Amino acid sequence: MVSPIYIVAAALGVGFAIGVLGKLGKNFSGILTLLTLGFMTYVSSEWLYAFYFGDQVSTYVFTAGYKPPISINLLMGPQEAFMSTLINVIGLLGGIYLFFNFGRKGRNAFVVYLVFIMSLNVVIMTRDLFNLFVFLEISSIATAGLILIEKGNRAVGAGFKYIIATSIISSILLIGTIFAYFYTGSLNIDDLVKSDLTTTTGGLIAVFLILIAAILEMKPFPANGWGLDVYEGSHQGFSAVVSAATATASYFMLYKLLDIAGNSWDHYIAVIGAVTFIGANLLGVKQKFARRLLAYSSIGQLGLLMLILGLRTYLGDNLNYVVFGILLTNLLAKTGFFWLVGIVKAKTLKEWAIIRRKPFFLFLMGTFVFALIGFPPFPSFFAKWTFVMDLAANGGFVWIAVILTGSFLEAIYYFRWFGYAVKADDNYNFSFNVRWHKITPIILLTALLYIIGYLTAQHTELGRMINFIPLFFVLILFALDFLPVFIKNTIAIIGMGIYFYFIYPSLSDLKLLFEVIFMIGGILTLIAGYAYKGKRSGFYPVAILMYAGLTGLIEANTTLQFFFGWELMTAGSYFLIIRGKRSMPHALSYMLFSVAGAYAILAGISIANIGQLTTSLSIFNNIQYFPQWAYGLLLFGFLTKTASVGIHIWLPGAHGEAESDVSPMVSAILLKAGVYGVILALIGMSKSQYDLSSLTYILGWVGALTVLFGNISAVFQEDAKRLLAYSSIGQLGYIVFAFAIMTQLGWLTGFTYVINHFMYKAVLFLTIGAVVLRVGTHNMYEMGGLIKRMPLAFVAVLIGITSLSGVPPLSGFTGKWLFYNAVIEKGWYFQGVIVFLSGGVAFLYLFRLIQTIFLGQLKDNHRNVKEISIWFLIPIYTLLAGLMVFSARPQWVLQPLGDMIANYMPQNSIRWDGAYAYTAIGHWTGSGVMMTIGSVFLIVFLILKLSTRKAHKIKQFDIVYSGERPDRPDTTHVAYNMYAGFYKAVWPLTVPLAERFWNWMTELVHEAAGFTRRIYSGNGQAYMLHIVLYIIVLFFITIGSSI
Amino acid sequence: MNIYVKLAYTLLGFFLVLNWGLLMSATLRKIVARVAGRHGIPFYQPWIDLLKNIGVRTTLSHGFMFYLGPVFRFTGAVGMFLFMPALFGSDMWSNFSFEGDIVLILYFQLFGMLGMAIGAGEGGHPHSAIGIARGLAQHAAIEIPMTLGIISLAIQYHTLSFTDIVAAQQGGIANWTIFTNPIAGVTLLLAALGAMGHSPFNLVKAPNEIPIGPPTEYHGTYLGVLMSSGVVLHVMEAALFMNLLFGGATNWVEFIIKTFLINFYSVFVGVVFPRFKIEQSVVWFFKVPMALGILAILIYSF
Repeated sequence: MVSPIYIVAAALGVGFAIGVLGKLGKNFSGILTLLTLGFMTYVSSEWLYAFYFGDQVSTYVFTAGYKPPISINLLMGPQEAFMSTLINVIGLLGGIYLFFNFGRKGRNAFVVYLVFIMSLNVVIMTRDLFNLFVFLEISSIATAGLILIEKGNRAVGAGFKYIIATSIISSILLIGTIFAYFYTGSLNIDDLVKSDLTTTTGGLIAVFLILIAAILEMKPFPANGWGLDVYEGSHQGFSAVVSAATATASYFMLYKLLDIAGNSWDHYIAVIGAVTFIGANLLGVKQKFARRLLAYSSIGQLGLLMLILGLRTYLGDNLNYVVFGILLTNLLAKTGFFWLVGIVKAKTLKEWAIIRRKPFFLFLMGTFVFALIGFPPFPSFFAKWTFVMDLAANGGFVWIAVILTGSFLEAIYYFRWFGYAVKADDNYNFSFNVRWHKITPIILLTALLYIIGYLTAQHTELGRMINFIPLFFVLILFALDFLPVFIKNTIAIIGMGIYFYFIYPSLSDLKLLFEVIFMIGGILTLIAGYAYKGKRSGFYPVAILMYAGLTGLIEANTTLQFFFGWELMTAGSYFLIIRGKRSMPHALSYMLFSVAGAYAILAGISIANIGQLTTSLSIFNNIQYFPQWAYGLLLFGFLTKTASVGIHIWLPGAHGEAESDVSPMVSAILLKAGVYGVILALIGMSKSQYDLSSLTYILGWVGALTVLFGNISAVFQEDAKRLLAYSSIGQLGYIVFAFAIMTQLGWLTGFTYVINHFMYKAVLFLTIGAVVLRVGTHNMYEMGGLIKRMPLAFVAVLIGITSLSGVPPLSGFTGKWLFYNAVIEKGWYFQGVIVFLSGGVAFLYLFRLIQTIFLGQLKDNHRNVKEISIWFLIPIYTLLAGLMVFSARPQWVLQPLGDMIANYMPQNSIRWDGAYAYTAIGHWTGSGVMMTIGSVFLIVFLILKLSTRKAHKIKQFDIVYSGERPDRPDTTHVAYNMYAGFYKAVWPLTVPLAERFWNWMTELVHEAAGFTRRIYSGNGQAYMLHIVLYIIVLFFITIGSSI
Repeated sequence: MNIYVKLAYTLLGFFLVLNWGLLMSATLRKIVARVAGRHGIPFYQPWIDLLKNIGVRTTLSHGFMFYLGPVFRFTGAVGMFLFMPALFGSDMWSNFSFEGDIVLILYFQLFGMLGMAIGAGEGGHPHSAIGIARGLAQHAAIEIPMTLGIISLAIQYHTLSFTDIVAAQQGGIANWTIFTNPIAGVTLLLAALGAMGHSPFNLVKAPNEIPIGPPTEYHGTYLGVLMSSGVVLHVMEAALFMNLLFGGATNWVEFIIKTFLINFYSVFVGVVFPRFKIEQSVVWFFKVPMALGILAILIYSF
């Protein structure tokens, strides 16, 4: 083992050596510096390795031949080894990144940089308070030097503010050190911890001064203007190191010093952390500039670390795991991000559209964004999970709210930024070049992020390889992205087919039903992908990512696996949605509602988890504490995915603007994930010992109002895909309502709708999507008469809408009939009436869909369009076959479903007698009705055919039209604003209250951020005043009253 | 009963209803004419119209779906007849009502309507589309009192089966739903006004502005089929309300009188009140009919 003292010795020695040997050239100095940093990394990582894989014990290193308190001692324990390894790795990679920059500045830059990294190492390891002060000063001076080394007013201002602020902080630490020494006679931190300093007034002040200095180093909001400018004013390469390495050291300093106060300061640290976390992320929302935004995010992360530290009593043994996850993710991703900023050189967020000129960079950026927000498989995901679970277990509900709120604010600006990168207009005339020494460190960091994510998962029950198999498949597809669509599509379909084949035997009942929808539905919609030409870059990995998430939900046995699948599915679907041409804002709102929903689910699971001995999903069936809250949060989370009224505003745009084969994926298939969640929660509620009927009652109303709202809105759409999207909202409302009834009939209705909606919505979205591909517009009034050109598409839509409308004999009626029985049996008459009335409204939009696209007048520019692609027709007609079977023989599906539901809902309210169904109040036979109507239809048809066999076909304009013959299809086609009269009657129901509410909320957040931002005037004096005022206020809050 | 015998009775019943429908429509048209001070058509005019339509030699077609429109419409009318028992207590005249209950009828009404609408749509005539748009909007509004009323009945009788509802009303006029549950009865009668499609709810076919609305492009045999469907539907709509509110019918005379009176009621209202614009008719259903419907359920909720 190399003694850690050599970290200091090597850095100092080489620093002096460069001074002496400097004439050998800049490159020599640089390489020597990198070698030294490499050596330092080696030393700390050797220790780290010994701690984790050997049986190394923590070791003190004594200097000057004496023991403390006479001399200084360093401690090398597992935590120190971990932190200093982090710092040294970042230092080394940063050295590579900055190699040529420093080279231009002269060899002294290398020296200062080396000393800077070394000083942070000492801050980590030292156990002597005065020594800590000294090296803090060294690091401050070195930092200021490295900021000021850059040209320009910005750098000068930032460096100047930095040096003044850190001087104040150091002075306070020094005074605190003096006080502490006066009262204890020792400067050794271990002695101070033992000395019980807080019992005396002077000691209290000493502790206050020491801790306030450590807190201020963490750049607490709002006394952090000086810190922000550093991130913005210095070189990007160096900002990254400050954001990662300095932050790590500051955190660890606070961690060490906090012990002096025992637990008495935990609460304050948590509050300060919370204010910083939320405050910084709130201000981030308003940012337009990339580096400033990263600065706010860095400070937010520092706040989160303080928050974690302050809540350490909640976490117990898990503290290190949580810190490990959060710190590491932030360190790797944020450093990478800052360096990416240095390469891409786009200042405003919108200019980041240029990044997609090099797709690999977009991939890097995406990795960083998803890691920072805490998506799987990154370490922060697991850390956040553990954090929230532990908080709930110990009653820290308010803290959960704080953490999730702050994280949500962070998601807002990161995903907006990422949206710009993926989709904003790229009409800038500047470009960016990549140099190996800059990109290599970023690639290393990214690789580390994935590897460490995987390793982090090994500490949870997710460690089993099976959970990662779909993810590896995703990675393979990423690697094969250069291949043409045909090959990739085949690979994707075969992959899913094989997966389904192997997974099929292990599933039954509910799981099987949904797995069939997800996987078979997935394969069918993928078939449509053959219609696309070229490479379709990036489509397959993300589509498979979504399906991996979906199947993860089904296979999940534990709550963590479930949430893991949920987040993967969200990430995959986000990428699918944002592929649409005009999808940028819709993908953002989809993501934000998804993140909010996921946080609600996380909070719900954490409450459900209280007092449980198992992490199995079965805890949903046995929630012991606050069941109303737990189920309420879970349901809310799931309802964000089913787009219930009020939280639906993301859906029309997201589904409407998506690509032709993506719309059915996200509509017919993805929405069912939310339904699956709702069902899981409701199964739990049905088994609960508590009375939760009020919750299902509310859910029922939510469902009913969603139906009304979705259907009425669909009526007034001009865009065919948006019409279908609103229709989906309504259909999901039916499903939610049916399940909320919580009886056997209700659930049978719900499942019937799940199956039906899957089939007819996939048919409709696929067909309309394929039509849109042919005619090049979504607007229905620009189409018309297409039945002449696309008869097969017309038949598909005809069957689709007949089925959706609920007209017998197709399967939609099965749902309607069950609905009537379920509603009357339950006694939910008014909700039921709203639902049935909405069914009548559905006719309006369904007719509009078929009339304005396929009937009426064929437009001149569509006279030569072809039938929709065969690759769309194959899945469409497969689904139609399924629909017809379900219509003709509903009992084949409904009987087993009824038996399955009996496991959850024991009352037996439906009786089958062959093809005849009987309930307490009604009766019906699907097969009989089908046969009767079919026979009549056929007879009438034959008679009419015989009597009009000489009918001759006439041309488009041969119609009786006030004695004229129209010659302009555009003026004769009734399509635009088709239901003007109906609108005059029902317009109050179409006022977009939800949109207004969310717009108002957005405004509020932005205004709040804009207002708060004014404290950062850029004036150094004001910033110093902030620090002083902060200290004073904190004094009165913390120890002011006890002195 | 042998299925062939049953089929024979059903066909006979349908023939009766078709002819009764033709006669009834002539009679009602004559009544309307007399109110307006005109002489009106002879009572046999519908038969002449029907024969003339079917006899027209030239037939034109706008395409396959245009062709299927009348088929849908006629199947819809036959279905309305089939799924409702014509006469109560008679095995011969109960048709195919064992295949479904009120819910089936409620939704099956739309079968013909939707098919016909799509068929007419292919004709490409704007008047068709305008008429259908109005018809669907009005239908959505009629659903409100209709559904509220039927749910009230379902709560009252604990059943959705026609036979059971009619059975519960036997034993004297006082047992009719219109007297045992008058609020739901009135609600349904107001809905009936819309469902029958006479003035003030006849904007769908509004003769003055969109000649005859949806069927504009239909002629000859097609029109004949449509006309037959129309008269059957008129009788069966009336039969629906007869079964729900007025004790059903136990013999054909009772059937004819009751369906006539129910139709007469809607024509009577029609000649008194002028036509609504579509937004007026939709809003009208949101007011009194809806309030009454809610009341009809509330009284059973407590």
